[in-house]
Amino acid sequence: MKILVIEDEKGLRESIEEYFSESGNVCESVSNYQDAIARVNLYRYDCIILDITLPGGNGIDILKNLKERNHADGVLIISAKNSLDDKLEGLDLGADDYLVKPFHLSELRARVSAIIRRKSFSGNNLFQFNELSIDLSAKAVKVKDQQVKLTRKEYALLLYFIANKGKVVSKNAIAEHLWGDGIDMANNFDFIYSHIKNLRKKLLEAGSHDYIQASYGMGYKFTDQ
Amino acid sequence: MRLLSRYNRVTLVTTVVVMLITGFIYYIAINLILINDVDKDLEVEENEVIEYARQNNRLPQVFESNDQQISFYKAEAESVKRHFLDTLYKVTPNPAHRRHHHNGERYESGRGLITSVSAGGQYYKVLIVKSTVETEDLVKIIFFITIGVVLLLLFTLFLINRLLLNRLWQPFHALLKELRIFNVADNKDISRIDTSIDEFKELNQAVTSMSSRVKSDYKDLKTFTENASHELLTPIAVINSKLDSLLQTGDFSQQQSKLLNDLYSSVSRLTRLNQSMLLLVKIENRLVEDKQTINLKTAIEELIIQFEEIFHDKGLIVDFGLTNKELHTSSYLLDILLNNLLGNAIRHNCPGGNIVIRLDEQQLAIKNTGDNTPLQSDHIFTRFHKSSGSEGSGLGLTISKQICENLGFKLSYLFEGNYHTFIVIF
Repeated sequence: MKILVIEDEKGLRESIEEYFSESGNVCESVSNYQDAIARVNLYRYDCIILDITLPGGNGIDILKNLKERNHADGVLIISAKNSLDDKLEGLDLGADDYLVKPFHLSELRARVSAIIRRKSFSGNNLFQFNELSIDLSAKAVKVKDQQVKLTRKEYALLLYFIANKGKVVSKNAIAEHLWGDGIDMANNFDFIYSHIKNLRKKLLEAGSHDYIQASYGMGYKFTDQ
Repeated sequence: MRLLSRYNRVTLVTTVVVMLITGFIYYIAINLILINDVDKDLEVEENEVIEYARQNNRLPQVFESNDQQISFYKAEAESVKRHFLDTLYKVTPNPAHRRHHHNGERYESGRGLITSVSAGGQYYKVLIVKSTVETEDLVKIIFFITIGVVLLLLFTLFLINRLLLNRLWQPFHALLKELRIFNVADNKDISRIDTSIDEFKELNQAVTSMSSRVKSDYKDLKTFTENASHELLTPIAVINSKLDSLLQTGDFSQQQSKLLNDLYSSVSRLTRLNQSMLLLVKIENRLVEDKQTINLKTAIEELIIQFEEIFHDKGLIVDFGLTNKELHTSSYLLDILLNNLLGNAIRHNCPGGNIVIRLDEQQLAIKNTGDNTPLQSDHIFTRFHKSSGSEGSGLGLTISKQICENLGFKLSYLFEGNYHTFIVIF
């Protein structure tokens, strides 16, 4: 997949670029409005990660520019402004998603993957990963034609893992993804363990490989190696 | 004590005292004048007696009249010293009355003059007495008139004070009312008060300028909080992403993973704190306007499902009785409110405790077990007030309270039967 990161904050831009760069992925980045406009008018991307506040202009204008030219690039807005108006305006103008800073890279990755999936599997909601096949519209998972019954959260967890394939995903990130902001009421994230254990067990029983590995007590890694 | 009653009390007491003093002086003066008058009459009588004795060399015939008696007593020469005296006047009832009153003699107050006269070589002491009953009646009438005037004056004063002062103070009360409803977070200014009194105009001006100064200071402070929180977001975002990147570099010792874990949880606390501050500013500015019809029952049920694993993990038993209740309100704020209240009920619960949720037409009550001591209800809603050991931001209840205020609800806390209870009244 081909991704463009438009973000003026160097530290954040580099982290995102690094997280998304791997074999088969192209991740480019620009740091200001003019460069961004030039880039999006020249090249097409699967997904553009767009910061709203940029030196030299407003990210919303880049979005407008894209939509005026009928470019089909997916757009994910990242903004420090957790403002409902911004969010609604962005989504109204055709952005695919909106993520508030600060966020976990794994969350960003999951959202970008979801956008790209929606864009590339238009009409066909089946998503294949090795022996796993996932029907995105029916929210059903099969291992080699065998149905796996997953709870809502286990299903979300599996998609999250697949989107962040090969990455260590922290327990915090998983908890926040599954339970949202309300998660700060749990003193520790040990209860995540039972969720992951169940998911793993169900997949293994259906004949899948063991993809989920615990990683240094900090998180989990979904890997097919 | 109200100014009016204080003023009334002072004026009334002063008036009464002054009136009494003048009344007393008046009484004495009138009395003196009248007695002087009587004394003159007595002197006229004396002159007549003396004149008669000189011309006729004998005592005059004494006629008893109704208001004057003259009596003569033999006395040693030059033994009588002429003087006036207050005495009694013996009324001898007329014959018509005597039939009915055997002992009909009675005394009235009188004024007498003792003097002397010589007639026929004999020295006499003369006592002339005049009744002063009529004089006293006059004094009495004057006294009652005075009292009447005093009372009338008091009544008028009281009435004037009451009516006039109440009217005069009207602008003051209007201003007081404005001040009472003054809210620094509100956009409403203190309105100009229509008055022609300079003092009130000045007061109004002072209050108005003070309120706008307070408001602008408060606005500056809020802008500062907002800006500071915004500026913090970017570095926090960088820290967060760098931590995620660090996690990918692999091979951590147990000690390193523990450090990383602690970093993660601190950063996420920082994030939440920051977001809470931004949220609070936003709610206080009333920037959230996304009113829609929401079924509160459904919203709570969804929340319960959302937190199912957490209830399970902490061994909490949730007992909920919900009736259908529709609200036309901001779903964004309502979500935060429910999340905060239920979140508190979970966070401050004891392992294996209870959560009771009751929803009816009038109110939503969320109760939880926990510490067996009631919280200080006047402190819990203030910013950064936290129970010891709480991992929250200390802003949750402040935000909840503010949300309730914005949405027109009332949030209150009470502790009953070992349950910490938060009630939202719609």
